[in-house]
Amino acid sequence: MIRVAGLTKLYGELVAVDDLSFEVAPGEVLGLVGPNGAGKTTTLRSLVGIVRPTRGTIEIGGHDLEREPVAAKRQLAFMPDEPHLFEYLSVEEHLRFTARLYHVTDVERRLPALLSELELADKARALPAELSRGMRQKLVIACGLLHDPRALLFDEPLTGLDPAGIRRMKKTIVERAHSGAAILLSSHLLHLVEEICTRVLIVKKGRMVAIGTIDQILVGRPELRGKSLEDIFLSLTEGDGRGNGE
Amino acid sequence: MIGAALYLSRRSFANSIQRRLQRLRQPKYLVGFFVGLLYFYWIFFRPGGRDRTAESILPTNALAGETIAVAGLVVIVLFTWILGSAETPFTFQLAETDFLFTAPLTRRQVLQFRLVRSQLALLVSAVFSVVLFSRGHIHASLLLRVVALWLLYSTLQLHNAGAALVRASLTQQGVIGIRRKLLSLVVLVFLLGAFWLGLRDAVPVVREAWSQGFMEGATALSGALHHGALAIALLPFFAATGPLVATSAAEFAERLPAALAVATVLYLWVMRSTLGFEEAAVEHANRVARRIDAVRRGRGEVRTRPGGVARPLLPLGATGTPAGAIMWKNVTGAMREFRPRTLFLLAVFVVVLGFSLGGKRGAGPLVGTLSLALTGIMVLFGPLALRYDLRRDLELLDVLKSWPVRARDLIAAEVLAPALLIAGVAWFGLLGAFFATLPDHGLPPLALRVPLLIAALAAVPAVVLVLLLVQNAAVLLFPAWTTIGPDRATGFEAMGQRILVFVGTAFALVIAVLPAAIVGGAFAVLVHTIGAGPGWTAAAWSVTGSAVLVFECYLGTMLLGPVLEKLEPSGLR
Repeated sequence: MIRVAGLTKLYGELVAVDDLSFEVAPGEVLGLVGPNGAGKTTTLRSLVGIVRPTRGTIEIGGHDLEREPVAAKRQLAFMPDEPHLFEYLSVEEHLRFTARLYHVTDVERRLPALLSELELADKARALPAELSRGMRQKLVIACGLLHDPRALLFDEPLTGLDPAGIRRMKKTIVERAHSGAAILLSSHLLHLVEEICTRVLIVKKGRMVAIGTIDQILVGRPELRGKSLEDIFLSLTEGDGRGNGE
Repeated sequence: MIGAALYLSRRSFANSIQRRLQRLRQPKYLVGFFVGLLYFYWIFFRPGGRDRTAESILPTNALAGETIAVAGLVVIVLFTWILGSAETPFTFQLAETDFLFTAPLTRRQVLQFRLVRSQLALLVSAVFSVVLFSRGHIHASLLLRVVALWLLYSTLQLHNAGAALVRASLTQQGVIGIRRKLLSLVVLVFLLGAFWLGLRDAVPVVREAWSQGFMEGATALSGALHHGALAIALLPFFAATGPLVATSAAEFAERLPAALAVATVLYLWVMRSTLGFEEAAVEHANRVARRIDAVRRGRGEVRTRPGGVARPLLPLGATGTPAGAIMWKNVTGAMREFRPRTLFLLAVFVVVLGFSLGGKRGAGPLVGTLSLALTGIMVLFGPLALRYDLRRDLELLDVLKSWPVRARDLIAAEVLAPALLIAGVAWFGLLGAFFATLPDHGLPPLALRVPLLIAALAAVPAVVLVLLLVQNAAVLLFPAWTTIGPDRATGFEAMGQRILVFVGTAFALVIAVLPAAIVGGAFAVLVHTIGAGPGWTAAAWSVTGSAVLVFECYLGTMLLGPVLEKLEPSGLR
């Protein structure tokens, strides 16, 4: 569903992402982890078309993002860490607007259930300025899920959510994966990655350090066996970065 | 407090200059910089160019200069009260709110800090304005003009802040607000009443004088402004503009104290209003907390009300093109900021003014003239002011770029939304002017006026579209040099920048109009040769030329599409 080959992004002389290649299959949750400045957000932004790769190709559902951006983006949903909303549109209007952008024709039928599910029903006519950060985050997620995307990209999905929201978010991610969506999740919360991701992609300074399940990663580093993902992560990213490229 | 503000201003200015210089490493900015330099040279300093230019910021005729300055100031002040916002009187940057609102400072100190901070920007604006209008004729008296304009900008800034606080008090607190602002309201009503009475007495005399000749009319107008109730109402306006229109250093020095007195009174008014606002904030803690939170997030423009926001003017259909949805979004946003009732109130104001000043017989032409003037203002300044397009939406570039919409469709939809609104209001003014003057027999016959109306109706949307596309092209091509989002470049701090943008846009319009005028002209000649009169020839010219302009805009969006595709969030900084 998501196929990345040789992705490279340069900002002048700075290499933000360096020759990154990976795939995310339907039903899979790939955790993207790395220290600050490793290129996680740039990778996600490249995958959704916000940032243009300097080199490499990106395919979403068989559509090349560069050559067929509209077809590729129709299958995508991107949930950034900071909820960006139009301050002059209400909650309900955001959903209707998104429905039109993605050609969701049965929005009338889906709207009440979606608002109710996200506990936004009594805020349907409220503007973003009247919502808490968590509520705005929920609205962004609702907009992202409205068109049943086949590929979902999450950047720090738990930021600003209360405990109930965190539980609901984790459930949403897992359910979407079970329904066949390919999910790429970037987070610093290693316990979240460990809990819900089927595979992990560790990056450092724009380069891939390791990819695979925890067991696959440990094949190349047997001395780390039995340690937590946090220990494995720190060992791979703070040392020389030698890992298992699968 | 003042020391901290000055330190912040000094360091911000130095760092911003350094960053701008670093940006010149990018070829497009370097090219833009040299084109800008050449443009400045050509406009202001080219050999032989000075002889034809004016010497000072205002006409050398002191009488005319004074009248124009006062009239301009009256219009700005009236617009502030009629159309101004009741939102926050001072725009704070996010960092300023985070540092200042949490610091152990009183609200008064925060506003003093903001006032001091804005002085550098106001000074730069004043320098820009004076250099722009002096057109390269640099001389010693320009320094006095810079000081005078700086003072005038500061005075206007204080006035606008005070007006916003009064409006906020009235809209949020109702009767309590009226009681709190009683003194301000009494002064306002007194000045308005004096202005109205003075205008009623003066208009017949001035009209009579104008019919005798230009000089007679100008002298009568100047005389009327200095006598009776009008002189009382305009006293602060004459005082504020006095130094600007002074013809010598001695006269400047003589007029300066009165201008400073006006600024001081306004300063005290704002500080006093602020105190009242703070007390009211305690009474309405929840509402104010939400407002401050909204302002802190830079999201304070759209007024909220219990039960949710007003329904959009048009519902968004479940099916249709994504571009249509983007247009709907922008129109809805604009209509929530500039409500339709504002247009209705403006129309009522124009009609009442027309009947009050013109009487039964003279109302039609006066309403027609005012409607045409409003149409002109709308066409010229609407595209600069109504920013519900890429200039605002680029703030959410990452959201825009994730949409499954082609870049050129996105640009077209973004630009069309404000174009529709501005053209709609301008059409309203044109039709208003036409119907208001329908029974008037002193004007050219209907057979000529109808095709001229058609010509104007065709030209207005095309011109508006070009102006908006130029604005959007500027923000796409040079995002770091233009203002993005609703909050930036507001107030008189950005006056110089706005003048520059306005001149640049006018220049681009001339370039765009040339081919349209040639093609339209050729078609008009053809129409004329087959027997059409002057009116229909003009209509043919305008309609064909407008079609060419629209086609140019289409080409423009095609060319700008790849620019948006390449634009990245890092390019906005």
